[in-house]
Amino acid sequence: MDYEFIYSFKKPQLTGNWFLDLNPLTKLNIVIVIAIISILSLSWQVSASIIAFYFLLAALAGCLKRFSKMYIKLGLLIGSLLFIMRAMFIPGDHPLFTFWLFTITQEGIDKGIWFSTLVVSICGAIVLFSTITRAKDFMYALENLGAPHSTSYIILASFQSIIDLGDRAKLIMDSQKARGIETEGNLLQRIKAFIPVMGPLVLGAITSTEEKAIAMEARAFSAPEKNTHLSELRKVPLWEKLFVLLVNISLILFIIWRFI
Amino acid sequence: MKGIELKNVSYQYPLSEAFALKNIHYTFEKGKFYGIIGPNSAGKTTLCNLVRGLIPHFYEGELSGDVLIEGKDVREWDGSLLSTKIGYIFQNPFTQISGVKDTVLEEIALGLENLGIDKEEMIERVINVVKLLKIEDLIKKNPNNLSGGQRQRVAFASIIAMDNDILVIDEPTSQLDPESTADIFEIINMLKSQGKTILLVEHKVDLIAEYSDEVLVMENGHIAYSGTPSDVFSNIELIDRGVAIPQAALLSHDLQRQNKPFDFITITNEQAKQQIMKRMSCVNGSY
Ligand SMILES: Nc1ncnc2c1ncn2[C@@H]1O[C@H](COP(=O)(O)OP(=O)(O)O)[C@@H](O)[C@H]1O
Ligand SMILES: [Mg+2]
Repeated sequence: MDYEFIYSFKKPQLTGNWFLDLNPLTKLNIVIVIAIISILSLSWQVSASIIAFYFLLAALAGCLKRFSKMYIKLGLLIGSLLFIMRAMFIPGDHPLFTFWLFTITQEGIDKGIWFSTLVVSICGAIVLFSTITRAKDFMYALENLGAPHSTSYIILASFQSIIDLGDRAKLIMDSQKARGIETEGNLLQRIKAFIPVMGPLVLGAITSTEEKAIAMEARAFSAPEKNTHLSELRKVPLWEKLFVLLVNISLILFIIWRFI
Repeated sequence: MKGIELKNVSYQYPLSEAFALKNIHYTFEKGKFYGIIGPNSAGKTTLCNLVRGLIPHFYEGELSGDVLIEGKDVREWDGSLLSTKIGYIFQNPFTQISGVKDTVLEEIALGLENLGIDKEEMIERVINVVKLLKIEDLIKKNPNNLSGGQRQRVAFASIIAMDNDILVIDEPTSQLDPESTADIFEIINMLKSQGKTILLVEHKVDLIAEYSDEVLVMENGHIAYSGTPSDVFSNIELIDRGVAIPQAALLSHDLQRQNKPFDFITITNEQAKQQIMKRMSCVNGSY
């Protein structure tokens, strides 16, 4: 038996990486501040720098690979989509070129760049937070703040059902493929292949939700006692509190500098 | 002492015409081990749902008659208090994992967290059940990625860690090999020796005959036979009605038909073995 693992729960489970070991709420505070700066700056240069900064932070937390894998894909998709939408539809006085029904203007390009870097930088805050924070630690932190136990359960369970749903969809698609049904190819073909599996997928999700609810009941989920916790979070050290303070003061200074 | 009393209980699932349970009249006494057998769709799981209070607290539908848990009507019980009183291990191992814990260790601790057990004791209890269920090598694994048999053992561990007085266990060995099945029966027997009341649904009749104090044979939503294993399994009708009975009983019924009966209808392998030994020693004239 791995007693070392079991007894690791007697103390807060720290990784030794100072950034990863920050309290989930500290991390949340940091990413929110960064996102606010990006929003208030109204400048694509600032947003772009912030996007680059996330990679630095992820590296600092030792999660660069995991973060990049998710963020680059998501960022490119959302960024290019938003850029194209803006660039195509925003009118202006400086037309650059025209094709089909659309006139692309300098204003459209500018706004497109600004808006897409802004949204990608906000997404980055969310992706970074979820990469460097274990969901259960975050929920525990919220419970400590007074959030009800059931809320954190529902949020955690929803995450898991999304994963389960994905797994099940993959399973059904694989068996469709085994039966000789085309599931790959272009987007249209994929959608066509996916429509018939939606029904069983949704039904399956509904029944398993009911059974999950009973299973939770069997674990005394709604027992009247105040619940305890196996894993605990580190008591926030003084330096971390000062650090948060510093971050928030910088935000205030930034706002003053920008708007006053 | 009376644990759970069922008085003329009938039940229909919502939107269902048929009765899943019909006129059930039975008393489960405290500290006894009840083995429940019967074909598929006989109503075994429904009986478990009823005894555990999921009917009517979770499943709606038509319930008539009285269900008394420790003397108090199930409808008057607070559903959440029942979960601290009666442990329930389900038939389907795939839906028993909470999905919110990422190691088996934490999964087992979940029920204890909900019961408000303090951490030192929680760790103690988890270590004990992990040893008991022999799942030491699973504790660091993600419960969402386990096989059916592994989940069954984790679910079992999670529930017995909670130390309920009454345990309702629905086909716990359906995904297990014979060796693990034997382990599970040993554990259930040990729980019984700790004074717990046990209701076990199980197809493996040889084991039911060996361990149960009382056997219930369910058929079409009612209890067709009940009594001690020797009462129930020595009834020749069972064979004619297609109820699975222990090998030892089958052998002894067969011998009786051949007019060469054992001294009594044997129920367990041990009894049959002794009877055979006795007969063989007569034949040989030795020993
Ligand atoms: N949730 C449900 N809703 C409607 N009918 C059900 C439900 N569960 C079981 N039944 C029906 O009730 C009867 C008894 O089922 P069950 O108790 O699961 O039998 P067993 O466990 O002995 O196989 C069956 O006819 C079954 O189809
Ligand atoms: Mg069943």
